[in-house]
Amino acid sequence: MLLKSTQYSIKVFETTITDEIEFMDFFDNNYTLFKDHLIVIKGECSSSIKEYLKSKELTYLNDITLPKGRTRKALEEELKAQNVDAAVLAQIAQSELDKLSNQLQNNLTVLDEIVRSGRELEIKGDLLLLNRVNSGATITTNGNVIITKVVEGAIRCSGNFMMLTASPKANIIFHGVEVDNTLLEDRLNRVELKNNEIIITPVLKKEINWAL
Amino acid sequence: MGIVIAVISGKGGVGKTTATANLGLGIAMNGKKCVVVDFDIGQRNLDMILGLENRVVYDMVQVMDGEASLKQALIKSKANENLHFLAASQSKDKSVLDSQKVEKLIAELKKGFDFIILDAPAGIESGYEHTIEFADAAIVIVNPEVSSIRDADRAIGILDSKSAKVKAGEDVAKYLIINRIVADMVESGEMIKSDDILEILNIKLLGKVPEDRGVIDASNQGKPVILDKKSIAGQAYTRITGRLCGQKVDMKDIEVSDAGIFKKLTGMFK
Repeated sequence: MLLKSTQYSIKVFETTITDEIEFMDFFDNNYTLFKDHLIVIKGECSSSIKEYLKSKELTYLNDITLPKGRTRKALEEELKAQNVDAAVLAQIAQSELDKLSNQLQNNLTVLDEIVRSGRELEIKGDLLLLNRVNSGATITTNGNVIITKVVEGAIRCSGNFMMLTASPKANIIFHGVEVDNTLLEDRLNRVELKNNEIIITPVLKKEINWAL
Repeated sequence: MGIVIAVISGKGGVGKTTATANLGLGIAMNGKKCVVVDFDIGQRNLDMILGLENRVVYDMVQVMDGEASLKQALIKSKANENLHFLAASQSKDKSVLDSQKVEKLIAELKKGFDFIILDAPAGIESGYEHTIEFADAAIVIVNPEVSSIRDADRAIGILDSKSAKVKAGEDVAKYLIINRIVADMVESGEMIKSDDILEILNIKLLGKVPEDRGVIDASNQGKPVILDKKSIAGQAYTRITGRLCGQKVDMKDIEVSDAGIFKKLTGMFK
């Protein structure tokens, strides 16, 4: 038998009350803004506040734990604790793969040749390169870049992400900004733009499976 | 039908012409009929290194233009009767070459010789492109330093896009000679290791030639260093040409100095 249920996505306003008068003033002033929110009071909630919220016909909850974002490392540790490693790690990998394919653009070009000095490759769309980029070569793409061998030449990428291993000689420009080579570790690095900031993440060994 | 090998480097001064002379003589010493052709039009050098400068009457440009026959222009080496030489023109410049003439000349040489070795000019201009255009294989000469490696990389890139064989959908065989290796500089990290060079260029290693002071004198005398059995560079060229002629010659590790071996040995007993 199926349970009859409905799922809602609601907005939550979470706060802790330190000064009751201030709290009531705030709600008087911003009533229209929060009247459709679920109010969550962390910590103590006195009977006068309860009365006040009831009089305003506001829906509220006291002392509950809301789901929060967390780091992947914490998630992995939790999963490890639950001893379900293999299955769940596969699931993480799958979700990463989904994330990757969501970010992929069109026209994937797959190349397996050394990009030698003096060559200027211009790629429309994504590039998967399974070979080296030698010093003096330039690759320009408007899509994403994945390069599985060492980059010593120049990369100009304006896609969603790059994934590469670079030598200190390389000159990498992502969305017009020169990437500091010293931040790249001696392994695959994921370089992406998040909130107008370039974030570099070394790709962990177990992730390489899907990167390749 | 002979095999045409272009000796290339990209950068000048890495020992391309010296290598060509020694390769040609080494192949001839293996009993194969070999001709070395100087493609460095306007900057003829190979005749001096082979000790044949006073024998040049006609050059390859005159042969291509029909002013002389190939037979008239070919010079037989004093050092080995299997080795022949075709000189570059010293007065003209590289613009006199054109694809059809080069193709005809090479086709003619292929009929009479087992190996045709072409000494490419430095740089990547038209003279270089004509040298590699009809080659079956290329021997790339590099020194263990970054500028030489990058220029060689560029030269290989052009070879891979301009060669007639590649245009026909075939592969041009590419071999690497690492020249002027100084063992203790490799050990101390001042010179780039062979493995790293091979990783960058990604072509087959044909041989390593150590730095040898005797090479300069040999060039000045017009007696390629391969004739000197005691010379370490000469021995390296003997091994390399042996490989080219189909013998199985193991790679000698010349990147370990005698001091290095001694250190390793003493290290074993510590």
